[in-house]
Amino acid sequence: MSAALSIASREFLAMFRLPAGWIVTALYLLISGLVFGLVVLDPGGPASLRAFFGVSGWLLLPVVPAVSMRLMSEELRSGTIEPLLTAPVSDWAVALGKYLGGALFLSAMLAPTLVYVGVLFAVADPAPDPGPIVAGYVTLLLTGLLYLAAGLFFSSLTSSQTLAYLGTMFLFLALLAAPAGAAWAPGPVRPALFAVALGPRIADLAKGVIDLSHAVFFLSLSALFVVLSALAIESRRWR
Amino acid sequence: MILAEGIEKSFGSVRAVRGVSFQFRPGEVVGLLGPNGAGKSTTIRILVGYCPPDRGRVEVNGHDSIRASLAARAGIGYLPDSAPIYPEMRTVDYLRHRAHLFGLRGRRRTEAVERSIERCRLGDARRRRVGELSKGYRQRVGLAAALLHDPPVLILDEPTSGLDPTQIMQVRELVRELAETRTMLISSHILPEVERVCGRVMVMAGGRILADGPPDALVAEHADPALYRLEVAGAPAPGDSPGAIPGVRGLGAAAGAPGRSAWSITGDRGAPDLREALGRWAADRALVVTELTRERTSLERVFHGLIAGVESGDTERRA
Repeated sequence: MSAALSIASREFLAMFRLPAGWIVTALYLLISGLVFGLVVLDPGGPASLRAFFGVSGWLLLPVVPAVSMRLMSEELRSGTIEPLLTAPVSDWAVALGKYLGGALFLSAMLAPTLVYVGVLFAVADPAPDPGPIVAGYVTLLLTGLLYLAAGLFFSSLTSSQTLAYLGTMFLFLALLAAPAGAAWAPGPVRPALFAVALGPRIADLAKGVIDLSHAVFFLSLSALFVVLSALAIESRRWR
Repeated sequence: MILAEGIEKSFGSVRAVRGVSFQFRPGEVVGLLGPNGAGKSTTIRILVGYCPPDRGRVEVNGHDSIRASLAARAGIGYLPDSAPIYPEMRTVDYLRHRAHLFGLRGRRRTEAVERSIERCRLGDARRRRVGELSKGYRQRVGLAAALLHDPPVLILDEPTSGLDPTQIMQVRELVRELAETRTMLISSHILPEVERVCGRVMVMAGGRILADGPPDALVAEHADPALYRLEVAGAPAPGDSPGAIPGVRGLGAAAGAPGRSAWSITGDRGAPDLREALGRWAADRALVVTELTRERTSLERVFHGLIAGVESGDTERRA
């Protein structure tokens, strides 16, 4: 576990030492700021961040894969994977460390959006209900963590950051568009598409409904992708 | 210390390592020689636990490299080819991170990092980002990282590749220093480097070990027939030449200074040194010897001879 933490802290700090980390953060804050300024700040409207959290699946879609794409792909491309995998550290610790590092960076990237909460409390009368805001942040984190885990998996498969980015983005684009696709899908496939659809789950959570089944869905899928990443790292040794 | 038994590794249809076996005793410094694509790096990657062999087994300090992989890896310091290091990290931060991965904490970690920095003379680079360092410095950072946990076994893959002559000298000096207290494997295609540092040499080509032993023994075993050059002032009588001396297998005229005669002479394989007989032959004819030399077979020559044997074998098989 200690080695995983060391890998996590290296990964977290690396994101801030590279322009990519700052660009990704700036891009996210720009998009989320636009949503906040143009949609949430509605004079006379209800004081709620529901609109902001409701689109979190789409807001995170272009940025989280940009964080996850380098986690393993860059190691594979530059050859730093060799010293890493010859240290006395298990492949599981490598996958977990990479994931934790990405999760820390994701949290740091989301943290400035707390300013929106402050602004809302300052300008809204009556003050907004804090419950849905907490639930909204849980949504944001759960969605981000799921994207990150899948991104780590794609990044473990290829030394091309572009491929890792595209793989992650298209997977979640498909999951976000699943309910719309269900309308055209043949009958037996429809329930499966609704089961994996992200949009309705994010919408429920953004409303402030903390449904345990949604939380379990996000967390178990994230865990599955981290496990697959560890297996992908291990399988590289046998190729 | 290191034991490899019948290791084999293929990548698709390419058989990179074909049934290689060896054993390194404690304190032994072994040079692994071979041309590009000989299977050196794959063999090393198997030893350091980066990839398992398809067949055979490896033991490092008594630990099986697959069943007790973490324990085996903990006893090795490894410098991969071209020393890949995170370019955005400062030297000291990278070394701290590596020390952590090798289980060093607190004071032990600080001491290990400082010891490595001092040993590899990285004092002036400690706060610099690795990406800003010259290749020589990066190589030293990689070496410092490999030494952090004071491993009993050190494996260096092409430690001087791509370095300028001054940097090569610095790294070579450091390697010689380290070799005094450790079991070492140095892979290289630069022969003088291996000849100077290693007490044992393994020559590899086509995924196989072609020769294994002390450099002197390899030279003696694979030496060419001795070559001599004789130059005398004046010329012997027509029809007379050193070709009649017992032990001489071949004789050719060589270029000599004006007014002198010169020959290039090949001795029989295993024949005693012919210099005395050649000198006596000239003295008997009252010819003043102006040059009499014997060309020594170098490790380089042995190496090229072995490699050429494999290459011509491959060509014959393809034909």
